[in-house]
Amino acid sequence: MARLSLPTTARLSSTLRVDPTNITVIKALNRLSRPSLLSLVLDWLDERNQSLCPPLLRRPDAEEYEDEDDFYPPAQSLSELRELYEAMQLRKGGRREVVDRVLEGDWRYGLSLYQLAMADLQYLYDHPGSLKWTAYRIQRLQTPGHEDDAEGPEIADKESITVPRFHPSTFLQNLQAEVLPDVKAHYNFDRPKGMPLLLLRIFIIDSPYNTDLAVSTRHRGRPGLASSGSSSSATTSFDASRTIYIAFPDASPHIYISKSANAATASSTAGGAAGEAKSLRALVVEGVPKALSRPRERYALKGTGLSTKNLGAMLAVKGAGRANAAGGGWSVYAGTETADLKADNPLQTLKTLPTPPLSDASSANDDTAENTDYGRKRRRLVDPDEAEDEKQQKRARAAAQARFGDAAKVDDGKGVERLDVAIEDPFPTDTAIPPPDGDYDARRGAGAGEPSRRKSKGRKSILDLSLSQEDLEDVSNERGRGRANEEGEESWAPRVRLSFHGSHVFAGLRQLVEAGIVDGERMPGWMTGEEGVTAGAVRHGRIKGFRGSGV
Amino acid sequence: MASDEIQSPELSVADQLDSEIASLRSQVESLKQELKLQTATLITSESTRQILQTSSTRANDSSRLQELSKRADEQNAHKQQCLYRACASITTFKVRDPDPGAVDDGKVLGLRFEVMSKSRFLRPYYVMLNRPYPNSRHLRVHRHTVPQCIPLSGLAARHLPPPTAKDDYDAPKKQDLSKFARTLRRELVRYHNRTAVIGDLRSAAGLESKKGKAKELKDPIADISAADAQAKQIRVEWSDGRTGRLIMTDDGDIVKMVVQGENGQDRESVKQLIGESVRIEEVAKRLESA
Repeated sequence: MARLSLPTTARLSSTLRVDPTNITVIKALNRLSRPSLLSLVLDWLDERNQSLCPPLLRRPDAEEYEDEDDFYPPAQSLSELRELYEAMQLRKGGRREVVDRVLEGDWRYGLSLYQLAMADLQYLYDHPGSLKWTAYRIQRLQTPGHEDDAEGPEIADKESITVPRFHPSTFLQNLQAEVLPDVKAHYNFDRPKGMPLLLLRIFIIDSPYNTDLAVSTRHRGRPGLASSGSSSSATTSFDASRTIYIAFPDASPHIYISKSANAATASSTAGGAAGEAKSLRALVVEGVPKALSRPRERYALKGTGLSTKNLGAMLAVKGAGRANAAGGGWSVYAGTETADLKADNPLQTLKTLPTPPLSDASSANDDTAENTDYGRKRRRLVDPDEAEDEKQQKRARAAAQARFGDAAKVDDGKGVERLDVAIEDPFPTDTAIPPPDGDYDARRGAGAGEPSRRKSKGRKSILDLSLSQEDLEDVSNERGRGRANEEGEESWAPRVRLSFHGSHVFAGLRQLVEAGIVDGERMPGWMTGEEGVTAGAVRHGRIKGFRGSGV
Repeated sequence: MASDEIQSPELSVADQLDSEIASLRSQVESLKQELKLQTATLITSESTRQILQTSSTRANDSSRLQELSKRADEQNAHKQQCLYRACASITTFKVRDPDPGAVDDGKVLGLRFEVMSKSRFLRPYYVMLNRPYPNSRHLRVHRHTVPQCIPLSGLAARHLPPPTAKDDYDAPKKQDLSKFARTLRRELVRYHNRTAVIGDLRSAAGLESKKGKAKELKDPIADISAADAQAKQIRVEWSDGRTGRLIMTDDGDIVKMVVQGENGQDRESVKQLIGESVRIEEVAKRLESA
């Protein structure tokens, strides 16, 4: 430990050790399963990691270890320790055994921040749905032409043709400069296996010091310091919600910022901490574009309306591939499988071009011709109802293929778990009920949501459909409310909000279309996921703001 | 043991049958493909067309004949389309947006960009345009499959600007679709050329093949890869720990190269690698001959 602890703006070192009695450390290890914990420990014991997380070893020249009470006598060499943990891997047992050995035995003098980061990342890889990610687009800003304009509002440079480039270490340096000096952070970069992105973990501690003082919960031999604020603040600052992940997808001008998925539950228990975490996140969101910017090259982050727990889905919609602006039915144009390549090659002289069904007349005719043929043949054998059913099924499947293309399959691993849509379409005027504002509101107070549901039923079939389906549960109709608009009475728009929940919302919708419950041809485009958003406002049947065009 | 001996030939017989079935199936597939190809060739040949025309005037069995001639027309149209696509790398087509809420009755203009790489046609890139603006024929990019490393939005803002609002006193901006298409194609081709040249560098350094000539050199190059999304910067790593960065322009002219060795900048390795080269292809040739 350094003799003097001066407040600095430097980052926390990876080798800084955290006391094993610290609740964060115990929590971090205890939430891992035994196998992943063991593989993690073996990682720590790797030669290359020795500078960052050395275990406690007996000195070779020391005499026989004498402490009889020591339950975990230190090993003599790395290889001995490795063998020990490998033996544990083969043996059955509880997680407790490993955690105890780590905390009270081999790393009794503390786990380094690097080790903590690794444990946290391991948990993230084991539970990919534990974080909610929000995608932001990195957008170039106009360089102010004059000094006076520099303070003005930021104007996006829409005509820029440079693609933002990202250099991890430079970025980190700049981000460090943005972080306030009374907050210390530990940064750790990692590349998850099988995903084209770079993950940055930021662990923030409220402390002006970048030495042991920042992470210690008790100050050994320094009662004067430990007495007041610093020790209590150290314990509170060790909170899992103070960890922020930022993911940088390869070759894509987007970044994903994490939000703890159980932030809602945290806020109910400790409102203050959650609020703090929120502001911290805001601080980072503010700092990131500054860290990406360079002199004469400014960037800003722009929300994309997409947030999900599934990084795979995120990469499909905001990654480096072709499917970014060709979701839903348009995905037939984006596939790069061998079959797609072969079919869509100008040297392919056979007419097997992938024309999306319903999009051109000839294929639609083909389909119907086939259908009637099929029906005719069947009709001789089975009764006409069944044949009709079959025909409809086939039609529904074709419609699903047309609207969803090759996307939104149940097993594609690109499930979005929530879709929120606010419909802002004006209320149709030809209905019998006139919409006088105050009167209506008063009635609603008594009727508890039922009337507005009934009314919106007539407008579109989406609502009653989603009410009848379990995986599309929770249709929350917000208070229908009159809105003064320049078009007057005609443009009264009830506030209708739909939210879809499920493990894979769009695959669920696709199944409904295939089952014939949703009319595939009349279904609005935002239900196919082609807009690439998970929250948006719909007007005239389309998500506002030309989403999904990638421009 | 005895039962084992009996089982193994049985198993092998079953395996044999399985593999035989599999090979027969693949044969059927290839024959079907062959049949399709022959039919397509026959149906579009000049003589068939003549026969169809002459017999249609007589008109005995009209429904079959009509179907046949319809097929022939379709195949001919497809053949023509393929010819256009192969020769002119930008082609257009019309699609209908299946979204019932789509603007302009779902009319969508598709641009198709053919790109070749490694003497093969890649999957074409598509840009779909529609007309979402009321009282204006201005186009807007609706959907596209252009990867993120191509600055499509910047190009669209430059060449397909949205119509100006009424209260805007600026001169109305004109859209130039053909210029947009041309610049976009240029960007796409340049990007693929850059990635291709990085592939060439890799194979010249013996990184692509398992046992290349990488061993022959004293300090072989350990890795060559693109360092940014647009593939304008190349990362070179030597096995002795030197790392280098080469920057090129959009078109592949070398701008600069820096190599960091153990003792700071290593100008000698830069000279060794690029020499007098101006273009990145020359570096690949140098590596090849080295």
